[in-house]
Amino acid sequence: MKVSLFFVIATALLMGSATLQAADKSAGEALYAEACAQCHGPSGKGMASFPALSGRDAEYITSRLERYRAGERVGSNSSLMIPNATDLSDDDIANLAAYISQSAE
Amino acid sequence: MFPKPTLRPLCAVIASAVIVGIPAAASANNEPELSQTEVLTGLENPWDMAFLPDGTMFYTERCRGLSVRLPNGEVEHLLGMEGTDEYATTADDLVCEGQAGMNGVAVDPDFDENRTVYVYSASNMSEPRTNRVLRMTVNSEFTDVSDRTDIVEDIPYKPAATDHPFGDAGAHNGGRIRFSPEDGYLYVTTGDNHNSEIPQSPELLGGKVLRIDRDGEAAEGNEPPEGFDSRIYTYGHRNVQGITFHPNTGQPIVTEHGPWHSDEINALVNGGNSGWDPKPNMAGRGDCPDDYCGYEPNQTEGMDPKERAAYMPVTDTETYPDAMQPAWKNDGLSQGISSAEFLTGEQWGDWDGRLMVGFMGIGFGGTPVGQRINLIDIAEDGLSVNDVAEMPVPMGAARFRSIVLGPDGDPYMAVDEGSIYRITPE
Repeated sequence: MKVSLFFVIATALLMGSATLQAADKSAGEALYAEACAQCHGPSGKGMASFPALSGRDAEYITSRLERYRAGERVGSNSSLMIPNATDLSDDDIANLAAYISQSAE
Repeated sequence: MFPKPTLRPLCAVIASAVIVGIPAAASANNEPELSQTEVLTGLENPWDMAFLPDGTMFYTERCRGLSVRLPNGEVEHLLGMEGTDEYATTADDLVCEGQAGMNGVAVDPDFDENRTVYVYSASNMSEPRTNRVLRMTVNSEFTDVSDRTDIVEDIPYKPAATDHPFGDAGAHNGGRIRFSPEDGYLYVTTGDNHNSEIPQSPELLGGKVLRIDRDGEAAEGNEPPEGFDSRIYTYGHRNVQGITFHPNTGQPIVTEHGPWHSDEINALVNGGNSGWDPKPNMAGRGDCPDDYCGYEPNQTEGMDPKERAAYMPVTDTETYPDAMQPAWKNDGLSQGISSAEFLTGEQWGDWDGRLMVGFMGIGFGGTPVGQRINLIDIAEDGLSVNDVAEMPVPMGAARFRSIVLGPDGDPYMAVDEGSIYRITPE
């Protein structure tokens, strides 16, 4: 039993921290409020030229943020998104994806 | 001209009126503390408001249409756009995309006699799409509009996406409309559509401020250069989303979005050129993405706004030495300057006569996002600024889209987040 538990813990630690953090919606919520809400709206509905995020799944959010972080241009607001994504960690992206996909309405 | 009316709403919506009453920081000077009332919430991109003396408030939502909030708080939905179904009348030609849709609204100075309102909206009635100024009659119950006449039909609309920041269709669409209390004419602000030919064009009505009468004809006394469309009051603008008039002199004053630098406040001169000309292969520039140099020399990476301003000035006085000079340039930054309105009345203390200017916020290339309302002490002639302060509004940061002074003397502020607030001095 001890061995099994150790194995579980070790496996979890070896997995990417992003995966471990995937359910940390509260961290994602805080980061969203700080970095995203000014343009995408407090509840992710989108505003003006900035698209809605509500209804997007975690895979979509993760993929977009990773592409922006890599400097890839995706759509007409890339100039704004690339610098915003540059300093995001894998954890940040996972947290944002969890929050937006599960909470933003 | 209207398509058939759709189903009327079964009952009027009772607007929320939540008084939040958060006192702003006390001031040692004669400056009022502020409280706010959320007059309407749950709106979709509210864009503009216009008041009757009894507090009746017409308002637009960019992708929905024109509604009115009555003094008792009831709301009636008057003119809906394509895809809406709860408006008294829908006009399927009225469309929204990107920054375009239904924008400004104004009430006729003689509303009591003629019950006329005006809106600025994108329409697909023409091919390609255009922006139009619609004139309509409101019925006596404030439940419907009729007699639509499009008094301006040919304001350019950006038809397709281009390789520019915010480059989607419908971009740089202008859209504020206001009657001057001084001359009684309707002023219409337009945008350059990311099309470099438009701002200096004598015929295309984008990148202009138009001055027209209530039939859409050129105002008497417009003095654009020879060969220009006679509806043009000023030209050479980038994207004007704010216009107001000095309470003492009637001087028209506009706000103009800057391109990664230099939001501007300008006093308009009849026939004047605001000096925006983003054409390629002139003024030291070469080719530019999709023939529009407005974000050059580098439209995707951050750089010193001063370098940008030197390369692609909002007011190019080297090419156009007689261009109207801005009174203020937001310290060289572009932060989404939007609507402007004067505060008037003794209740405002030291702020009486200050120009409120809203900023929606854009954080690019190291520029702070800058969502705020500024209180600007501007000279009566609009040519210089004496002081700039930040208005301590209770709601804090938001995308401030429209500021309109209500008949009670309180400013009403629409934010893209979906609310309209009333700000009251204590």
